[in-house]
Amino acid sequence: MPAFLVLARKELSAALLSPIAYTIAAVFLLVLGYTFSLTLFATKVANLNYIFHQMYVLSILLTPVLTMRAVAEERRNDTIELLLTAPVAEVWIVLAKFVATWAVMLVIYALSGVYALVLAWVGEPDWGPILVGYLAMALLGGLLVAIGLLASSLTENQVIAAALSLGTFLMLWFADSVAPMLPGLLEPLALNLSLIGHFRPLVTGSVFLSDAMYFVSATLCALWLASRRLADR
Amino acid sequence: MSDPTPAVSAHAVAKRYGPVLALDDFSLDIQRGEIVCLLGPNGSGKTTFIRLLAGFLSPSAGTLRVGGFDVQREPMQARQRVGYAPESAPMYRHMRVGEFLAFMARLRQVPSRQVKEAVARVAGQLALTHKLDAPIPTLSRGYRQRVCIAQALVHEPQLLILDEPSNGLDPRQIIEMRHLIRSLAGKYTVLMSSHILPEVARTADRVAVLLGGQLRGQRTVSPADTDLEDWFLSLA
Repeated sequence: MPAFLVLARKELSAALLSPIAYTIAAVFLLVLGYTFSLTLFATKVANLNYIFHQMYVLSILLTPVLTMRAVAEERRNDTIELLLTAPVAEVWIVLAKFVATWAVMLVIYALSGVYALVLAWVGEPDWGPILVGYLAMALLGGLLVAIGLLASSLTENQVIAAALSLGTFLMLWFADSVAPMLPGLLEPLALNLSLIGHFRPLVTGSVFLSDAMYFVSATLCALWLASRRLADR
Repeated sequence: MSDPTPAVSAHAVAKRYGPVLALDDFSLDIQRGEIVCLLGPNGSGKTTFIRLLAGFLSPSAGTLRVGGFDVQREPMQARQRVGYAPESAPMYRHMRVGEFLAFMARLRQVPSRQVKEAVARVAGQLALTHKLDAPIPTLSRGYRQRVCIAQALVHEPQLLILDEPSNGLDPRQIIEMRHLIRSLAGKYTVLMSSHILPEVARTADRVAVLLGGQLRGQRTVSPADTDLEDWFLSLA
């Protein structure tokens, strides 16, 4: 069995045996259900646009809890010595952790699909924007997990890892608000780094390759940095 | 004809942590089948050298070879030949002993069909068969050390590296650990570290003394040696 699959299976079983993933899923779905009911009764419009924005905020708040242990706990328990002295390239260790954590995120997002089914039961939703919205959530989840992994690889303290992740997410979220205050080339750079700037078009059903590429390239960049961090010893 | 390549060849190895020179111009060859012990006080550079050899750290200077493979340039081939048991006996707390050994076997590229057999072999070797279903958090310190050595042996490495294997064990467990390491002689090359002088003479074939990150001396040892303490003090 390739080392990547061995590691991914270990990560998944660790995630499923820990109460963290279940707690996050419960909080996520509970808050979403509450918002969904309010929105549906208030607007009586059969779309999930508002819900996707709620999912965006909840993902930013909850992903650090999911990713903070990834590498930090291995460092604290010294199990990182077992991984890094095995004949496995660092990039596979990072990818296995990424895939397992992202899979947990995707399952949580998929469970929220029940709200789309409720919409279909009470109305006639346009499925195109809903599917694109879920694509946007998957891309967003991938990027947040990758940044969370990078933060976790920088420290052996899980709380610091979570704080670093949350700080980075918030800075990326508000990058476009800060942009007008920045001089010269920094302004377009901040605009292009904006998380919400690339998320909003996708979630409203406008698929631009540039937005999808932002998420994919930023995710790959964060994963590469995390694997470099593991290799730097 | 046996392979004349040394199991370990370290040449002018140095490791620097910022301004601190943890290992300085360290050279050591270990022949196949030998049990060599690094002896020195805490902070003398033993664990640094062991971590460099296991591939956990990168040297600041010098070359390190395991079975002829450069630890830096051919890391996968070198790591494949090493079994490493860290001092803290780390393991995954959500696993059972058998599950952990199987995970380590797969990670060290033991073919899937042979994993069960490899786990049974090391469990037998280390008297762990009755503990294979035990959750890891329930293990005593002595059993944790055994499991840690078992994971290092599960892929039948050429070189077994044991960092302070007797650390934290009670007197009976120390004796058992010594017998265990001696039982591995010949089949494996063993590099271990210790700061307990009498234990070294009873376990190792050769001892290398590290002080302040430098190799101060090395000699063959046997349990009958009476001049070991004087020799060690003359180096210190």
